[in-house]
Amino acid sequence: MSLFKARDWWSTTLGENEEYDQGCLSVADVDNSGSGQDKIIVGSYSGFLRIISPHPAKAGDGVQAEDLLLEVQLRDPVLQVEVGKFVSGTELLHLAVLHPKKLCVYSVSGTLGNVEHGNQYQIKLMYEHNLQRTACNMTHGPFGGVKGRDLICIQSMDGMLMFFEQESYAFGRYLPGFLLPGPLRYSPKTDSFVTVSSCRQVESYKYQVLAVATDADTKKEIEQQKIGSGKKLLADWILNIGEQALDISIVSFNHTAFSIFVLGERNFFCLKENGQIRFMKKLEYSPSCFLPYCSVSEGTINSLVGNHNNMLLVYQDMTLRWAAQLPHIPVAVKVANFQDMKGIIVTLSDCGHLQCSYFGTDPSLFQAPKVESRDINYEELDTEMKELQRIIKEATKTQDILPKIEKEDDLTLSANVSPVLDAVSQAVDSAVESEAVPSVTVKFSIRTRLHVQKTVLAISVPPFLALTQDQFIFHSIEPGVAKSVSVSVFLKGNCPPSDLEGSAVVSYNTPTELNPEGVPRVAQCKFRLPLRLVCLPVPPSKAANHKLTIDTNKPPVNLVNLFPDFIERGDDDQVSVLGFQLLAGQKVTLLASKTSQRYRIQSEKFEDLWLVTKEFIMRFEEYFLKQGVKDFTCSFSGPIPLQEFFELIDQHFEFRMNTEKYEKLLSERAVQFRAIQKLLLTRFKDKTPAPLHNLDTLLDGTYRQVLGIADAAEELQNNLFRAFIKLKAATQLIILLIGLWQKLSKDQITFLESTLLPLQQDGQELGWEESVDAALSHLLRTCLSKSSKEQALNLTSQLTIPKDTSKLKKHITLLCDRLAKGGRLSLSADSASQQSNLTQGFSTSSLSLGTA
Amino acid sequence: MVYVDEIDVDQEGIAEMTLDENSIAQVARPGTSLRQATAKKHEGPSPAVRPVTQSGRPLTGFVRPGTQSGRPGTMEQAIRTPRTAHTARPITSASGRYIRLGTASMLTNPDGPFINLSRLNLSKYAHSPNLAKTLFEYIFHHENDVKNALELAALATENAQFKDWWWKVQLGKCYYRLGLFREAENQFKSALAHQDMVDTFLYLGKVYARMDQPLTALSMYKQGLDRFPKEVTLLCAVARIHEEMNNLTSATEYYKELLKQDNTHVEAIACIGSNHFYTDQPEIALRFYRRLLQMGVYNCELFNNLGLCCFYAQQYDMILTSFERALSLAENDEEVAEVWYNLGHVAVGIGDLNLAYQCFKLTLANNNDHAEAYNNLAVLEMRKNHVEQARALLQTSAALAPHMYEPHFNFACLSDKIGDLQSSYVAAQKSEAAFPDHVETQQLLEKLRQHFAMI
Repeated sequence: MSLFKARDWWSTTLGENEEYDQGCLSVADVDNSGSGQDKIIVGSYSGFLRIISPHPAKAGDGVQAEDLLLEVQLRDPVLQVEVGKFVSGTELLHLAVLHPKKLCVYSVSGTLGNVEHGNQYQIKLMYEHNLQRTACNMTHGPFGGVKGRDLICIQSMDGMLMFFEQESYAFGRYLPGFLLPGPLRYSPKTDSFVTVSSCRQVESYKYQVLAVATDADTKKEIEQQKIGSGKKLLADWILNIGEQALDISIVSFNHTAFSIFVLGERNFFCLKENGQIRFMKKLEYSPSCFLPYCSVSEGTINSLVGNHNNMLLVYQDMTLRWAAQLPHIPVAVKVANFQDMKGIIVTLSDCGHLQCSYFGTDPSLFQAPKVESRDINYEELDTEMKELQRIIKEATKTQDILPKIEKEDDLTLSANVSPVLDAVSQAVDSAVESEAVPSVTVKFSIRTRLHVQKTVLAISVPPFLALTQDQFIFHSIEPGVAKSVSVSVFLKGNCPPSDLEGSAVVSYNTPTELNPEGVPRVAQCKFRLPLRLVCLPVPPSKAANHKLTIDTNKPPVNLVNLFPDFIERGDDDQVSVLGFQLLAGQKVTLLASKTSQRYRIQSEKFEDLWLVTKEFIMRFEEYFLKQGVKDFTCSFSGPIPLQEFFELIDQHFEFRMNTEKYEKLLSERAVQFRAIQKLLLTRFKDKTPAPLHNLDTLLDGTYRQVLGIADAAEELQNNLFRAFIKLKAATQLIILLIGLWQKLSKDQITFLESTLLPLQQDGQELGWEESVDAALSHLLRTCLSKSSKEQALNLTSQLTIPKDTSKLKKHITLLCDRLAKGGRLSLSADSASQQSNLTQGFSTSSLSLGTA
Repeated sequence: MVYVDEIDVDQEGIAEMTLDENSIAQVARPGTSLRQATAKKHEGPSPAVRPVTQSGRPLTGFVRPGTQSGRPGTMEQAIRTPRTAHTARPITSASGRYIRLGTASMLTNPDGPFINLSRLNLSKYAHSPNLAKTLFEYIFHHENDVKNALELAALATENAQFKDWWWKVQLGKCYYRLGLFREAENQFKSALAHQDMVDTFLYLGKVYARMDQPLTALSMYKQGLDRFPKEVTLLCAVARIHEEMNNLTSATEYYKELLKQDNTHVEAIACIGSNHFYTDQPEIALRFYRRLLQMGVYNCELFNNLGLCCFYAQQYDMILTSFERALSLAENDEEVAEVWYNLGHVAVGIGDLNLAYQCFKLTLANNNDHAEAYNNLAVLEMRKNHVEQARALLQTSAALAPHMYEPHFNFACLSDKIGDLQSSYVAAQKSEAAFPDHVETQQLLEKLRQHFAMI
């Protein structure tokens, strides 16, 4: 990763399919021309030796024929080339070439021709040594501090250091603890050899110690080249670096301290002469070669490090100063002077790519491949875009992440209430004290479009009505074929129901291929039972306690048309009076005024009016709808019969109070019963029997009391339930009347319904009175409040059974008053203010940046 | 050329994270643990600006082992794959990754294994120090047989009279892999007594980080920096710890110091870049990313980031070409999804909600688990008044990424709007847990509480 690349000054590729490594590159003025121009000497593992002197006309020029001064093929592979004063009697530079079994020293000389391409270069073998051990690498230097000549030390593959004093062999010495050869360098200042052994230690051996030491293995000595005997070989110092080293370099420039650089596989070390770490740097790449060189700034040393990511890095001590991209992986790097160019970097890759380069701010241009792009043809684009949009639109209709809710249900349930009562009543176990309890058949039909499973049909009717069967299970229903079942509904309890609307629910699973279990779904329907089910036509009675008068805006209607099922046709065409006998209740009479548009409904009991009134108004509306009259309205002139309503509330409340009383009593008795039981038990468990003191009689008595109270409580519960049903009927009637009276809209009526008829079951903990009271007081404080002062809320946190019903009654009266004064039932005023500050809060989650 | 750095190859597995037996206290004091993101106090950008990972830590600019999974609080969270991890399933055990490194040993050699470990007389080899070290590395890295490697190292260190720091480091490495962190710590400390090495400091720091003692790790790195001033790897380790501790300002300081030493350090450039991006300086972030591009980093993520920076720096001409390149460079579906997601943001930014909708859809088509895309899609659906769709999308999003506060908050708003106060309250509480300082959540909660008090 580098910003810049090394600028190419001159480069070539040597030979074909040849291999090179660390020691194969050397740079020196090997022909002793004296011009200060360095030549590049490259030896290959295929045995070629080349001497090159690059001189491009301008930077970046290719190779020219005369750049290659010399090329010879030697018989053996070239392991290493070194240049030094290897020949005795002269200080001229000679070339030492290391082969696996041979060391040759050549002199290189050139004869100048008339023109540049006439120059001739040749090498002359000065001397050679045949080696008995396979060589690995070598180092040279003025061993022992000799002046003006260089000695050579060869490390063999099995760990012997062989020393050659130019033309003669001096001695050989085994390194202790040897396994594989590591890099070897001679340090002139301390006159010692530095290597990295297989123990992963940097070891330094003094030349003198080597010379006088004796080998551990003396037997080999005899067979091998003659060696003098001496002391055991001991290292001067050892530093454990914990890794193998690639190369060692020993430098001491004028103004810098003497340092030994070791390039490990993971780290880069700089050691002092006594083997202590001066600094180290962990490398985050695999290095391939390095070269320390003189730095411009005081007291620091620069090093060039090549790595396997094709990079050449320049460190000043440990700070990265420059990084440049190379076209190849350098296995050897040198710095040379050519022509007038000083400090050209020469790098060699393992396949023979030789490059001379220098640093510059040439960006390492990375040519991003072109993204496939088309010429912009706007018309084509437009048509394609349109086509794609169309496809997307269609696709979103049919397939989306979330399935659209089906407009048409997969399964339809319909209920059909038969218009006539059953010929033979299906009623069983009816508690109604009447000679004949009618029943009506309701036919349910289920039709599916898909294959559905686990279909369960459940039917429910209001209390006191009963079904012959309330649940049906179908294991599977074939698509397209309607399943139908019939049930009969009849009045079971001895009380008129508060409603005549029943409901049925089908739950089913739609299995798909992926989900054999299926998705659970439901379908439901409602059905209305005929009034005839709960009442019989009777002759009307004039006397009644409770009367309601309903006004209409249309001329009076013949009741025969309204209630054909209650009046046998033919005997009297104009019927203005009609009597209903509720099966489990009182007689209700409906009177129609012959002249005015008024109707009166009257009964002995207030709550019984409800069913008939409701039916009457519904039939009226239906009738006029059939006639095509749209502006039909009913009205009620008032006042609202609150007193009757309150009586029912009181009745219900009294039952509740009684229930509470009985419950308390029951728990007392139960406690008493348990206490007696405990006493008895201890008596019986006692080892010495004691007299019972009539405790058994007491237990018996208490038991009977408990049973008696429980029976009474149960009876009370039933009564309470009945009272609640009555209350419910009355409440519905009151709501209807208020609606007619104040001409409330449908929304307002539902509002009123939710206020006065809470959905939850009537119970001892949370009963009708307190929940209605809470809802009412909320209404009175909010939308029906007279002034904003009332809106200040003081809330009771918990709903408890009230002490009496006076407050509730007061609130109901107040509600009617406020409505009469034009109060409107709506909470839109305060809900609007809430809406406004709702939508602002949406935030999109922020970006997720990828990673580099 | 394979370069295996033992220090960096390490990802904590589920088992290690959830069945941690090294923890000293159940609840660490704030600022002393990596485990709980110091969620109470956010330094630098808030999660509203900078997305967070599962553990509530801001997203870093550089994927490295262990940064993305975080330290989950629950098993359920641990099993869930972090979206940015590149594997389909979570790492179930630390050994999972090591086995993959050791696949060389799984190749069958025609002549049987190169070295038959079971027949090796370890004590014999322990006596030859020159062979033992290489043998150890073979067993440790190639065969991945920590038990035998440990045995060899123990014998060898005994043979070296406990004076060779290298063997102690190797022992520490073995103990670390076996999960015996205290023993590993002892070995590394003992090794440091012999010889200061950069690697040993790094290993020791790693042990402390694993033991959830970031402060000790930091002091260890500082000690290392005293010995080896300005060492790049140590600086980088310090910066990473600061980043994990949510201390982005110091992390950036250290990354900057690092860049002074090694200005080609990709991780530092990327992290500083992303920090600038999330602190509202897209122009500066752009320069950092452009630098990476010039240095030869050429991948989908970089172009993605460049595109985003261009957008927020209002250099509109480059946005689409950057994203185009990112798309063409994407290597897998997750990357494609990520690019489309960001394109969706651009579309939202220019107000083309239709395009945004389609971008987010494409994100989900490419990566079905993209929680952010679900959330944003839900917001768009909400604008179209598709309440049911929005609800379902938000629920999906919240289920996929419980650490994000956005889906919870949006769900709360939505529920509040349609009158489902209970759900709204529950969701708002979740949102508050994910991002305690979010003002709008607090306002909503306050409103709901008042509402409940009234009833």
